[in-house]
Amino acid sequence: MMQTNLGRRAALLGAAGAASAFAIGGRAFAQTQPLVFGALPPLTGAGGPYGPAMLRAAQGVVEAANSAGGVKGRQIRLAFEDDQTNPDAGVRGARKLIDVDRVQALMGTWASSVTTAVAPLCWENRVPLFTVSGADSITLLPHQGHIFRTQPNSRLQITTGSNWLIAKGAKRVFHIAAQSPFAQSSQEVMTERFSAAGGSVVGFIIYESNKTAFRSEVDQIMRARPDTVVLNGYRPDVTILLRELFRAGYDGRRFTFAYAAPPAIFESLPNEVTNGLTTFQPSPDLNSTAFNRLKASFGSTDVDPYSAQVHDHASLAILAAAKAAEATGTGIRDAVRSICQGDGTKVDNVTDGLKLIAAGQAVNFEGASGPCEFDERGDIRGTKFRYDVAEGGRYRMLELA
Amino acid sequence: MEDWRDLVQVLLNGVMAGSVLMLPAIGFNCIFAVLRYPNFAIAGFATIGAFAGWVANAVYGWPIGLALPLAFLASGAVALLAEEAAFRPLRAAGPLTVAIASVAMTILLENVIRFGFGNDLRGYDLPILRDWRFDGIRVNPQQLQNTGYAIVAAAALFLLLGFSRLGRAMRAVADNPVLADIKGVDPNRIARVAVFIGGGLAGFGGMLIGIDTSIDPLTGFRVVLSVFAAAVVGGLGSIPGAALGAMVVGVGEEMAGVVLQPAYRSVTAFLAILLVLMFRPQGLLGGRN
Amino acid sequence: MEAYLVAMLVFAGLYALMALGLNVIWGLAGMVNLGLVGFVGLGAYASALLTTKLFWPMPLGWAAGAVVAAAAGAGMALIVARLRGDYLAIVTLGFAEVIRLVASNEIWLTNGTDGISGIPGPWRGDVSPQGFNLIYLGIVWAAVAVAFILLARLSHSPFGRVLRAIREDEDVAAVAGKPVLWFKVRAFTIGAAVLGAAGALYAHYNAYIAPEGFAPLLTIYIVLALTAGGVGAMRGAIIGALFVMLLLEGTRFLSGAIPGVSPVQKAALREGAIALSLILLLRFRPQGLIPETTRTKASP
Repeated sequence: MMQTNLGRRAALLGAAGAASAFAIGGRAFAQTQPLVFGALPPLTGAGGPYGPAMLRAAQGVVEAANSAGGVKGRQIRLAFEDDQTNPDAGVRGARKLIDVDRVQALMGTWASSVTTAVAPLCWENRVPLFTVSGADSITLLPHQGHIFRTQPNSRLQITTGSNWLIAKGAKRVFHIAAQSPFAQSSQEVMTERFSAAGGSVVGFIIYESNKTAFRSEVDQIMRARPDTVVLNGYRPDVTILLRELFRAGYDGRRFTFAYAAPPAIFESLPNEVTNGLTTFQPSPDLNSTAFNRLKASFGSTDVDPYSAQVHDHASLAILAAAKAAEATGTGIRDAVRSICQGDGTKVDNVTDGLKLIAAGQAVNFEGASGPCEFDERGDIRGTKFRYDVAEGGRYRMLELA
Repeated sequence: MEDWRDLVQVLLNGVMAGSVLMLPAIGFNCIFAVLRYPNFAIAGFATIGAFAGWVANAVYGWPIGLALPLAFLASGAVALLAEEAAFRPLRAAGPLTVAIASVAMTILLENVIRFGFGNDLRGYDLPILRDWRFDGIRVNPQQLQNTGYAIVAAAALFLLLGFSRLGRAMRAVADNPVLADIKGVDPNRIARVAVFIGGGLAGFGGMLIGIDTSIDPLTGFRVVLSVFAAAVVGGLGSIPGAALGAMVVGVGEEMAGVVLQPAYRSVTAFLAILLVLMFRPQGLLGGRN
Repeated sequence: MEAYLVAMLVFAGLYALMALGLNVIWGLAGMVNLGLVGFVGLGAYASALLTTKLFWPMPLGWAAGAVVAAAAGAGMALIVARLRGDYLAIVTLGFAEVIRLVASNEIWLTNGTDGISGIPGPWRGDVSPQGFNLIYLGIVWAAVAVAFILLARLSHSPFGRVLRAIREDEDVAAVAGKPVLWFKVRAFTIGAAVLGAAGALYAHYNAYIAPEGFAPLLTIYIVLALTAGGVGAMRGAIIGALFVMLLLEGTRFLSGAIPGVSPVQKAALREGAIALSLILLLRFRPQGLIPETTRTKASP
């Protein structure tokens, strides 16, 4: 009896093993250890509205890569931990991913404080870190090439945004910013840009984020009579500010970062409030299909800039691992620039990329968030920005520049 | 402050902000008055109320006027459940043990909401109205309406406490539980009523906050420090004190933008606490120590 | 795996140190301090700034962290010592938020929300990452041992007995001729010094501090540690810190094993489970894992 039981179990196990080996293409080395990557997005705390979609984007890429046969026949596993939007919890999560899961790359950190806190662990353990954090100081850390930031550095973003606003005729701008690593530097850039162009920043407020009332702040904006308000915060605050500006009857231009008003904002604000809101974000070329593909994989909801970036984090790590002689942290770090810049064949997804790399061809990855080219510090460069305007509960693209 | 209108505007903004803090603060003090422990889970109750009202309004299409009582009932029931299942057995260990447990409870409730609804920000199904303007001073009809709801709820509680048998019994227990017991008032029953009403008011207030902003699992947590400040400034256990304290804190926080910096909004709440406690350790309207 | 375990033991040691500091203020003197993360933050910032800006040697920075936090504790105690427990809880909670806001906004001093990076660690960079981990493990647990021995002696000294008498009944202690305020201020100062030292050690282990790190979350963990271990007993503070670390990290692996729920739901289950454990622990073991055993505590 016992004998038959064991026999049956062994047969079942064998069948299951055969089935799974078949499912991934029946490669002979399907049994080798999977390649592990780590994601550390905020699933709770202030970053909670962003983290889940970011993680979903990374998981989607890993699934696609696995059904394309993985990296040199190795399947990929994506381990993840919640950073709780808190550097203390983030460091403990990163320790677990690095020391227990033995991840070869870490991706999807959101809060600048979490990124800066886990960065030393990454470079000490030779694990590249892909991040969306905006603080300019991050890529200035002594990271020995381990940090790749897909979010354009905040000076570049605000300079680009200011220039666009100037071109559109903005003269009197009000800057309202959450206290953040880039509030002050953004203000310096804006003052410089606008006064050079004959306009001015007529008011500047740094507010405390995560409060529920900003009426007196909006009064200050109204008194300054700006033709444009730049909202430099995150979703919960920007939602309240947009509502208050509408109530106060503000009818000038409202301009904000796409991450502060992602498409999901139409769920929490009626259209008459959002209509006319202009957002901007780094973007790939229009003919890039990566963004549309990601959008399709997300179902009906639209993609926010952070998810697009984390989609690219996972793609870069996977393609670099395929390209590198050894799929280790150092190998990936050194290979990233060889798969996302240069004259290789342009690819925008891991399926095609893995195929080409396996065939020994050079590739140049263009992601859902932009062309993904990094300078020597790990900052993104040469990215284009797209400008959208909200109309009737959806975004319509105005311009790509 | 170039103009007297600016001052009036800030005061008005403060009253609006204070009126949404008022109900959670009253709820907090209502529970404190009878059970003598600070129930930090008030933040969780506020979030529960906000979500219960949202489900009724945005999913089932109930008008706000009907969704608000539901928010009251739902958060009141959750508060009662938390009290009976978790806090009551701890009363013997002292009020601070219960207070610590209530901190844990608020995290638990936040995550129950997160488990069910995720982190997305949600808005009620409600048009957003433009401000009315009177000689340059702006008032929002919706916020005025919210203030009205808050005042109605607070007034209902005052009437209950002042003119009903139940209210008299509650005040008796709050004043002296032993004496009330001797006089035949069941303190456990009164405690349950106080917790239900306190939790319910927190949820009602939570929904008002949600109407004015948007809701997510952190809705209650965002205002909780201001709510505590309001309760302490007014005097722990004092219901009129909580209402007054909420106004002081509301106006103080709006003044912060003018006098201090907007980035120091929360600091004004703390300064208000320190100032009041230095001169009146029992709070503005707190009777006993 | 070993590196991870060592790192978590370092964190547990830091939490234990914080729980010990809190235990002097809350456990012995009976003053609730829900703003402990504010004192931890003060210690961390003091040491980080002095070592990175003025290049003080690390041990001096750590001592300065303790001194700054102690000074703040003394000032705080003078203001709040006569407040009742429930008021105290809220005032201290507000104090920690003020510290966090000042650290966020006074950029000239604290570098604002950018935080301070590159805080030196002993022999960091000269030895392997795991070597540094082990060195720090030794330093932190040596600090825990020293604090434990000193505080345990303090607790059994006449000073400690008076504190417990004040905790049990302030009026009786006052009638017995004890200067209650003075005793409370001293207890608060000592506790804050330990919290500040813990913060300083914390800063030099992580090499980075930012205002967001000193959010109420950490306070909750430490209060949880002390309540779990047993308020009043110094051994309890250490056992409790280890227990909390086990809970924080254990739930990580447990929630990872739950099938059929989304990542957000896993995260919610994990945080919810941590909170629920505390409630259950209080329910079934309100005196903590290591109850305080003293003659002064009268049975009700």
